[in-house]
Amino acid sequence: MLALLPQLVVSGTSTGMLYALIALSMTVVYRATTVVNFGHGDMVAAGAYAVFVFGLGFGLPFLVAMALAIALLFAAGFAAQRMLLQPIVAGPHLSLAMMALAIGYTLRGALRLQWGNETINPSRPYPQDVYLFGNVVVTTDDAVICGSVLLLLAALFLLLQVTPLGKVIQATFQSQRGAALVGINVPLFHALMWGGGAALGALGGVMLSLITPLTPDLGQWTLVQGFAAMTLGGFGSLGGAVAGGILLGITEKLLGFYVNTVFIEITGYLVPILVLMLRPQGLFGRRAVVRV
Amino acid sequence: MPDALLIARGVEAGYGSRQVLFGVDFDINEGEAVALLGANGSGKSTLLNALSGFVRPRRGSIRLDGMELAGLPPHRTFRRGIVQVSQARDLFPEMSVDENLRLGAWTKRGDAARLRDRVYASFPRLFERRGQMVRLMSGGEQQMVAIGRALMSEPRVLLLDEPSGGLAPAFVSEIAAIVAALKRQRVTMVMVEQNLRLALSVADRILVLRDGAVAEQRGGNADEEEIVRQIYL
Repeated sequence: MLALLPQLVVSGTSTGMLYALIALSMTVVYRATTVVNFGHGDMVAAGAYAVFVFGLGFGLPFLVAMALAIALLFAAGFAAQRMLLQPIVAGPHLSLAMMALAIGYTLRGALRLQWGNETINPSRPYPQDVYLFGNVVVTTDDAVICGSVLLLLAALFLLLQVTPLGKVIQATFQSQRGAALVGINVPLFHALMWGGGAALGALGGVMLSLITPLTPDLGQWTLVQGFAAMTLGGFGSLGGAVAGGILLGITEKLLGFYVNTVFIEITGYLVPILVLMLRPQGLFGRRAVVRV
Repeated sequence: MPDALLIARGVEAGYGSRQVLFGVDFDINEGEAVALLGANGSGKSTLLNALSGFVRPRRGSIRLDGMELAGLPPHRTFRRGIVQVSQARDLFPEMSVDENLRLGAWTKRGDAARLRDRVYASFPRLFERRGQMVRLMSGGEQQMVAIGRALMSEPRVLLLDEPSGGLAPAFVSEIAAIVAALKRQRVTMVMVEQNLRLALSVADRILVLRDGAVAEQRGGNADEEEIVRQIYL
């Protein structure tokens, strides 16, 4: 039984990288606006469908279709914040969360309108090969997903830590009023982060479409996994979102194999419950103390 | 006599259905230090927030060098030169002193190093702690960072909201010395301050706010007791 452990960890890491990307994209929006985007899963799904439409529908090469899908979702996220959230930003926080949910349902409704309950199996733009490392099998999917996410994480890390723009982003994450006090256009920043979050989510959707059949309800499952990874890593922590995603992927594979296959489906639901009860700040979040 | 640098006329502002300012008028000249005094709820902080764009005036005009500012968002009033040091300081807590200062001049990239050197020359203690994370500093040191960050943008008008608020007495005198030094450098300042002694020691002029309007204007050499009477009685 233990001989399979390395294989499970590798497969779990590959799935976990996807969760990490989705959780990271949700965290970007959360850190920028303090709103949990409950419609984010549907943006990820929309990204997956968009690459399918641009690729198969318009016959564009995969990389071009992917770039267009990401650009489209960036524009959609930006426009949604500007037109639907910014006008109510001074209202109750719950209204913002409800609006985000409504945006997600609208996207899902649009997908249903076009594809109903049809399941789509997009073809991969590369041959599916396997590579053997001892007893561990690594598929091309694993390599593409892990490689792409690692490249993206490295680019994001450099952007945030090294560039002046990254410092401005970090500053605004830390204090929005402070950002306004040094001349940062905070409403525009919110819209850009919604766009950026949606674009990152779209990339997650593109990766997802390589390994999962597409249905209009894909966003629901995606949201649960992203939310679970965020909670596990610590709400609002960028590094935590990545670590939480990878850990979630590995955990569901281990529980699914060693305990019961049903855990592959339900780990994403169980993790937030356990984390919120045992360690609400997650692995890398800071404990929030409210004095009453 | 040349026109004043900052001119407010009939400024009305508030939050939701609650109106706080009921027609505020004042002129502030270049290089002048003006203290805004008043009892709690008289509208001092609301007035500062209206000047910096955090509160949108419902009526009235705020002109800087003849350019209308009323209704502009904070990032645009900042670019026109109105820079606020807020009561809560609103620093970037997970960043170092140096990073906080640099961000104060992020709109003037080329000049940041020169401006930072100037701030460090005025605040040697910040230079000593330039690598320290701001959330680990004392309230007084954080206030220095907040003032330094504001100076990084070379403000036309510096708005100080309770610069000595919540500080230990040793730091209050240090902040008073800093504000006095700014006055000597002819930085135009509008300061809300509960500490009357500090306010009277640096202000060229005092505006007393009562019920959301300017009730009294005095020279900076006003008698403390008389001012207290003006504010509270």
